[in-house]
Amino acid sequence: MMATAIQENGINSLSNGNLSHKVDEQNSSSPSEQSESIVKSEETTADNSETPEIDIVINNVVCSFSVRCHLNLRQIALHGSNVEYRRENGMITMKLRKPYTTASMWSSGKITCTGATSEPQAKVAARRYARCLQKLGFKTKFNNFRVVNVLGTCSMPFAIKITAFSERFKEHAEYEPELHPGVTYKLYNPKATLKIFSTGSITVTAPSVADVQAAIEHIFPLVYEFRKERTKEDILALQLKQRGVKRKRSFTHIDIEEQDYEEHFGDTSDEENYGSDESWD
Amino acid sequence: MSNSSRFETNKICCYAHPDAPLIEDYRAGDQICSECGLVVGDRVIDVGSEWRTFSNEKAGNDPSRVGGPENPLLNGSDLSTMIGPGRGDASFDSFGVSKYQNRRTMSSSDRALINAFREINSMADRINLPKTIVDRANNLFKQVHDGKNLKGRANDAIASACLYIACRQEGVPRTFKEICAVSKISKKEIGRCFKLILKALETSVDLITTGDFMSRFCSNLGLPNMVQRAATHIARKAVELDIVPGRSPISVAAAAIYMASQASEDKRSQKEIGDIAGVADVTIRQSYKLMYPHAVKLFPEDFKFATPIDQLPQM
Repeated sequence: MMATAIQENGINSLSNGNLSHKVDEQNSSSPSEQSESIVKSEETTADNSETPEIDIVINNVVCSFSVRCHLNLRQIALHGSNVEYRRENGMITMKLRKPYTTASMWSSGKITCTGATSEPQAKVAARRYARCLQKLGFKTKFNNFRVVNVLGTCSMPFAIKITAFSERFKEHAEYEPELHPGVTYKLYNPKATLKIFSTGSITVTAPSVADVQAAIEHIFPLVYEFRKERTKEDILALQLKQRGVKRKRSFTHIDIEEQDYEEHFGDTSDEENYGSDESWD
Repeated sequence: MSNSSRFETNKICCYAHPDAPLIEDYRAGDQICSECGLVVGDRVIDVGSEWRTFSNEKAGNDPSRVGGPENPLLNGSDLSTMIGPGRGDASFDSFGVSKYQNRRTMSSSDRALINAFREINSMADRINLPKTIVDRANNLFKQVHDGKNLKGRANDAIASACLYIACRQEGVPRTFKEICAVSKISKKEIGRCFKLILKALETSVDLITTGDFMSRFCSNLGLPNMVQRAATHIARKAVELDIVPGRSPISVAAAAIYMASQASEDKRSQKEIGDIAGVADVTIRQSYKLMYPHAVKLFPEDFKFATPIDQLPQM
C-alpha cells in the first residue's frame, strides 16, 4: 500500500495504489494549501508503517503556446522589460518574477515557457506573458496551451542497489557508470523517463503531472525489491549535505518548516554536489 | 569393367551418392562425399596455380593473383578496375606528366566506409588492440552505416563509439577516456553515439567491472603481480560489501590500486594513479575515504604488508 502526496498548488490528491496497480482510487482531494503538505509526510527513516508516504516535488513544468500573431523581436527587445534578444538563435528570452519563469519567444508567435512549479502556475505565467506582449502592442490571442514536459523528483526512504537493479531490468534500464551515476529507466505506458540514483532519489520527466505520479507508483515496487537500508553514517551524511543545500537555495517560494523541508526535499542538488565521476567535458 | 558401358567420366564420385558434390579437405588431401562422409579421393594433390608459383620469393606481385584480397563482408564487393601508376616510357606525356592520372574512384558509395575503417584501424593501432576487436568494430560500423538512422552524426564519432562497443563486447572494455585519447571526438559525443548505436542495433552490453581494468592499470604503473592481485581482491570485495555505492568502477579500481600499492613496497601517489586511470585525484581520495574504514576486510588473507594497515595514509 502506498500513498503519495504531490506537493504543489492545485493538484493535491492522495491516491492509494496497490502494488498490483489495478486499483487507483482518487480520494476526495483536500483543499490545496499554501504551506505544502510536507509537514504531513512521515519520517523517512526506519518507519515501517502500512502506508509510507513519498513526496513528489514538481520542479519544472515546461509548456508551450502560441499568440497567433507575428512578433517583432527587435521591438520587444527595445521596449520590453526583462528581455534578452539573441540574434543568432532568433529568439527573445523574457523572464517573469512572480511565477518565476522564463519564456522563449519566436517571431512566429510560438512561445515556450519553463520554470513553473505546477501546471496551473504554468498557465498563469503563460497568460502573463501574453498580456505583457499585448501591452507592447501586439494583437495577441491565447492559443494551444499545452504542457510539454514535467520534471518531478522524489526520494525513497531507502537506498537502492542500482547495479543489481539494472541487471534485472535490462530491457528498460540503462546504466553507464562512466557517463552518468544514475540508472535511466524508460517507461512506455505512462510515457516517462526516470533517473534512479543509488541514494534513493529519483527524478522523473513525463508529459504531465499525473504521469509523473503514475510513473513513481509503477517504479516503487520494482525499486523496493532492491532496497538497501541506510546505515547511520549514510543518514548523517545525507543530512549534512542537505543542510549545505539549504544555504544554496536563496529563493524558496515554498515556505515551510525547515526541518521537514530538508529531510524530504528531493535530492536534485545532491546530484549537483555529487562527487561525480564523470569528466566535465 | 563395371563402367565400360557408361560414358567416360574422369570424375570420382561416391558410389552411393554419385550426384553428391565432393568436398575437398585440403589439409589431409581428401575428397569427401557431402552426403555420407565417405572419403573418396585420397592424397589428392592440388595442381592449381596457387601452389605452382616458384619464382623468387620476394616478387612483389603474385602472378596467380589479379588484385588485393577483397573485403567481402564490408564493401560493396566491387569488381571495378583501377588504373595503376604507369611504368615505362609510354605512360608519360611529352612533358613528363603521367597520362591517366587519376585512378578512378573505386566505390563512391563506400568511400565513407573505407575512411571509417582506416580511422578505426589507426585508433586501434594507437592503443594496440588486436585484429579481432578491429574486425568487430568494422562489422558494427557497417551495420550502423546500413541502418542509416545515425546518418547525421560525424563518421569519426560513430567509428570511435563502434570501437568502444567492440572492446566491450570482446570482454576487454576500454574506458571512454582511453578511447577519447586516441580520437578527436569529445567524450560526450562518443557517449551519445554509443547510446544511439545500442538502440539502433538493439544490442546491449555487459556492465563494466573493476577487474576488467586491473591488469592494464597495474602494468602501466609497473606494479608487481602481488599488488595487482591484492588490488583486484580489494576492489571486488568493496563492490560486494557495497561500501562504495554509486561510484564508478574505474574510481573504485583506482582507489583499490592506491590502497594496495601503499600497503606494499611499490607505493604510487594518487596523482600517478589518477593519470593512468583517467580519474581525478580528488575522486580517488573520495573513494579511498569510503574504503579506508573497512580496510581490514578488504585485503586478501595472504597479503604481505610492507606498511601495516594502521599506518596506511588516511587521506
